[in-house]
Amino acid sequence: MSHSDEADSPTASGARVTQPLTRRPTAGWALMGSELAVLFRRRRTWVMLLALALIPVLVAVAVRISSAGSSGRGPAFIDQISQNGLFVALVALTICIPLFLPLTVGVVAGDTIAGEANLGTLRYLLVSPVGRVRLLVVKFVAAMAFCLAATVVVVLAGVLIGAALFQVGPVTLLSGDTIGVGQAGLRALLIAGYVTVSLLGLTAIGLFVSTLTDIPVGAMAATVVISIVSQVLDSLPQLDALHPWLFSHYWLDFADLLRQPIEWSSFGSNALLQLGYVAVFGALAYGRFASKDVLS
Amino acid sequence: MPDGGLAIQTRGLTKVFGRQTVVNGIDLSVPRGSVFGFLGPNGSGKTTSIRMLLGLASATSGEISVLGQQMPKRAGTVLPRVGALIEGPGFYPFLSGTANLRRLDSADRFAQSSTRTVRVGEALERVGLTHAAGKKVRAYSLGMKQRLGIANALLTPRELIVLDEPTNGLDPQGTREVRNLVRSLTASGTTVFVSSHLLAEIEQMCTHAAVMRSGHLVAQGSLDELRQAGQARVRVLTPDPGAARRVLAQLGLAADADASDTHPLDGETVTAPLDAGQDGDGAIGPGTLADRPLDPEHIVAALVAGGVRVRGFAVERATLEDLFVALTGEGFDVAQ
Amino acid sequence: MSTVWKRWIPAAVAGVVVAGAAVAVPLSAGATAGLPGKSPQEVLALVAGSSVTAFSGTVEQTSDLGLPTLPSGTGSGSGSASHSGGATSGGTSGSEGSAGTAAAASSALDLLTGTHTARVYVDGTTGSGNLRVQVLDQLAERDVIKQGDTLWLYDSGKQTAVHATTSATADAVPTGPEQTATPQQLAAKFLDAASSTTDVSVGGDVTVAGRSAYDLVLTPQSGSTLVGAVSIAVDSATGLPLRVEVTAAGASDPAFSSSFTSLDLSTPPADLFSFTPPAGTTVTEKTVEKPSAPSGDATAPAHSASDAAKPIVTGTGWSSIVELPAGSDSSALTSSPLLAQLTTPVSGGHLLSTTLLNVFVADDGRVFAGSVSAEALEAAAAQ
Repeated sequence: MSHSDEADSPTASGARVTQPLTRRPTAGWALMGSELAVLFRRRRTWVMLLALALIPVLVAVAVRISSAGSSGRGPAFIDQISQNGLFVALVALTICIPLFLPLTVGVVAGDTIAGEANLGTLRYLLVSPVGRVRLLVVKFVAAMAFCLAATVVVVLAGVLIGAALFQVGPVTLLSGDTIGVGQAGLRALLIAGYVTVSLLGLTAIGLFVSTLTDIPVGAMAATVVISIVSQVLDSLPQLDALHPWLFSHYWLDFADLLRQPIEWSSFGSNALLQLGYVAVFGALAYGRFASKDVLS
Repeated sequence: MPDGGLAIQTRGLTKVFGRQTVVNGIDLSVPRGSVFGFLGPNGSGKTTSIRMLLGLASATSGEISVLGQQMPKRAGTVLPRVGALIEGPGFYPFLSGTANLRRLDSADRFAQSSTRTVRVGEALERVGLTHAAGKKVRAYSLGMKQRLGIANALLTPRELIVLDEPTNGLDPQGTREVRNLVRSLTASGTTVFVSSHLLAEIEQMCTHAAVMRSGHLVAQGSLDELRQAGQARVRVLTPDPGAARRVLAQLGLAADADASDTHPLDGETVTAPLDAGQDGDGAIGPGTLADRPLDPEHIVAALVAGGVRVRGFAVERATLEDLFVALTGEGFDVAQ
Repeated sequence: MSTVWKRWIPAAVAGVVVAGAAVAVPLSAGATAGLPGKSPQEVLALVAGSSVTAFSGTVEQTSDLGLPTLPSGTGSGSGSASHSGGATSGGTSGSEGSAGTAAAASSALDLLTGTHTARVYVDGTTGSGNLRVQVLDQLAERDVIKQGDTLWLYDSGKQTAVHATTSATADAVPTGPEQTATPQQLAAKFLDAASSTTDVSVGGDVTVAGRSAYDLVLTPQSGSTLVGAVSIAVDSATGLPLRVEVTAAGASDPAFSSSFTSLDLSTPPADLFSFTPPAGTTVTEKTVEKPSAPSGDATAPAHSASDAAKPIVTGTGWSSIVELPAGSDSSALTSSPLLAQLTTPVSGGHLLSTTLLNVFVADDGRVFAGSVSAEALEAAAAQ
C-alpha cells in the first residue's frame, strides 16, 4: 500500500499522462455497511427472521389454547408460561437452538462466499479491489450480526407475545430464587448474548465451507448437516471424551445464566470453545480463499 | 521487467488446469493509450488470461505487470486504477442498478464515499441507464446488465479498462454505443483492453490487437502491422508472361509458376509474392514493404523498361480476416 | 509458488495452538506439586485438624459403574412417573406409593450414572450450619438448602419442593441431590472405615481444583470385595478433602469420582441459604419421626428403603452384605419397568450388577446388596 511504488510508475507514452494514485485508502467501513444492507434488505433474510419470530408466537398460542395446566411434558419451562409470559422466550429459545437457529445461520454463513460466486459478483468485488482477507472479515462480521439478530428476534418476539397473552411478573430462576422483571430483562439480554456467541463456531464453519464451492445451496446444506452431526455426536455417551470439543456442546447451557448466583463457567468455556472454532475455521477459510482461483 | 510504456506486459504467462494447459507462455505487450483487441475463438484462453491479469486466478508460471507494477503482488494499488468487465456482468438481482454500483464502489477503499452518488449517476448516464437506475437488476435485459457492467468499470477515472466481450447481448445500436464509449475513453488517455471473438468488432475499435489460439499467442501488433503480416503479392496482367517473369526474377521476385490465370484478350496474370517481413518467432516485426526500395512504381518501371506490355498491375495484401482465419482456423469449431 | 503454502500457515498455527491447549491444560492439571512428604497418619491428622468451616465450590461427580446410561431427564422430572400428589401439602412419611418410590429410585440412579456438576456452598460458622447444594442439570436444577434446622429440597424441573424441619432431616428424606456428596463428607466416611481391614498409604502429589494435594490411597485387604482402591486427595494447605475416587478391583480408571473443580474458601453470602419456594411450586411438608437406628453420620448415603424395613448386616468391613427384608417397597422396585431393564434374571431372583456394587433381589422380595461378587450375594440369600 506504500505510495513510493508510484515513483516507478512513469507517466510515459508521450502526451498521455497517467494519474498516480495519491488518495489515501479509507478505513473501508463503507463495505461493512453495504454488506449489512445487502444482508438485511434481502427478502430471504426477512423471511427467516419472521419464521424465527413465529416460533414463540406458536408456542404462546398453543399454551394459551390448550391451557390444560402443567402436564410435566414438553420442553423445559413450558409449564411456567401460564404463570409468567416471559418464559415464552425461554421455551422458544430451547426449541430454536437445536434446529431452527443452526438452519438459518447455516443459510447465511453458507451463502457468504459461495453466494457471491454464484451471482458472479465475487469477481467484481475482488477486482474493485476488496482484498480477499477484508472480504472474509466483512462476511464473517455480517454473519455474526445475523446470529445476534436471529437470537434477539426469538427473545423479543417471545417476550412481546408472552406479555400480550399472559401475565408478566417476577421470574423464578432454576435455583428457586425469584428476581424482578428488570433483572429478568437483563438476564434475557445475557442469554441472547450467550446464544449468539454459541453460534459463532458454526458461522466460522459455514464461512469455510462456503469458500470450498460456488454452489451456495451446497454450502448451506453442508453447514446445517455439520451442526446436526455435532449434536448427534454430543448425545452419544460412548463419545464422552469428544463432547467438550463439539461446538454444540454448550448450546443449551444458556440456562446456567438462570441460576442464582449466575454460573459463569459455561459462558467462559463456551466463549473459549467458539473462539477456537473461529480461529481454526477462519484460518482455514483464509488458507482456502486467499489462494483460490476465482473462476465463477 | 515492468516497462512503464506498457499498460500490460506478460512474460511467459502460463495457466495449467490439471493436465490441460489453457494459457501457454504468452508474452503480451499492451501499449499505454492504445485500444488493444484481444482476439481469439471461444475457449482459446482469453478469459483465463484476463483473470490472471486481474489477480482473480494465479498464474502457474510467468510474470505479469499491469500499469507498471507486479500482479498479483500489487493488486491493492493496481486494481483501483483498473476498471473491468469480466465474462459477462454479475450483479445482485434483488438490488437496483444504483444500489449494485454503490455496493461495488464501496468495496474499493480508494473510492471516495462523498462523491459516490454523483459518480454512480454519471456512470449510469454514460451507458444510458439513467431511466432504469431504480429498477431491480432482476428486471434488466441482458443488454442492460451488460451496460451496467460497463458502468461499473467507469465508476472512477481509470488508467486501464478491461472489457471482456463487451458487446455480448447488445443490439447493433448498443454495439455502436460501446464503440463510441471506447473512443471517448481513449480520448482521455485511458488504455482499453477489449477481448472478443469477433474480428469485425476489433477491427472497428482497436489500434492494436493480439490473436490467441489454443492458449498460444499467435500474432500481436498494431492493426497496420497485422494487416501487412499477410504476404503482399504483385499481380501483373500482361500478354507477355515470359518477359514479365524474367524481369521479376531480375528484381528478385520469384513469380509463381502455375498460379496464373489466362485472359483471352489481355493475356495472362503473373503473380509473385513480395517479401513479407515475418521474423522467426511468428510475431510481426517492423520493416515491411514500405521500407524497401522495391516500391510498386519501381516494379512497373522495370517491367515497362523490360518491354513487358503491362495491362494491369496491383499489389494485393491479405485482409485481417484472411489472417484471422489463417491463424485460428475456420468455421465454428471451438479451439481444442 | 511459495505463496500458496504460506496461505495455510495461519490454519496450521491455529490448529497447533488449539491442539496444544487441549493437551497442555489436562497436563498442567495433573502436574505434581512438589509437596513435603507426609505419612498416612500425618495426612489423616491434616484432615482431622482441618478448620475449614465455610467455603464454596463446584463439584463434578463422574460415575462409570457399568450401568446403562438413562435417557437424560429421567431423574429430573419430565418423566411419566410424577412425584406424589398434586396437593400443595400433606404428604406424610412412609405413605409414598410405589410410583413415588420408583421415581425416587430412578432419580437416585440418574445421579449414579454419567457426569453431574453441583455447586456447594457451606457456611458452618453460624448456629447449626448452613448448606446449599445445587445440582446443575441441563435446563433444570435440583437444590438442597439447609439453613439451621430448616431443610428445603427444590426441583425446578418438576416444580416441587420438600420442606422439613428439626434435626432429623438429613436421614429422613429418601433420596435427593445430597447423594452428590462433597469430597469432605465422603472422605470422612472412608476414613472411618480405615481400620484393620484397609491398607492406607500416600500416593504421589496431585493437583485438584488448582490446589496441591496429598493423595491418600485406601486399599482393601480383603480380596472378596469389588472395590480395588479408594483415593482421597487432601488439600495440603487446609486438610480439606478435594477429591474422592473409587476404583474397582482390576480396573485402572476410577468407577466413581467426586472432585472439586473449583474451590473458594471465603464465606458464601448469607442470602444463599434463605429459601422461599417460588409461586406455583408444589410443596410437600415432611414431618418425620426420628429414625430409631443411629445413623451416626449425617451424610450416609440414603437408600430408598422405607424406615419400616430394618436392614441386616452380615460380614465385616469391605465385604459386608446388607440384607433388606421383603417389603412393599422392594416389590415396587422389582415391578418398576426401569429396574426391570437394568437387572438380569438369575436363578432365584434378579441381579443388578455394577462395577462397585451388586444388588440381588430375591424372588421372595428380600434384597441383598454389597461390594461383593454376585455369587456371594446369592450364597447369602440361600442361607
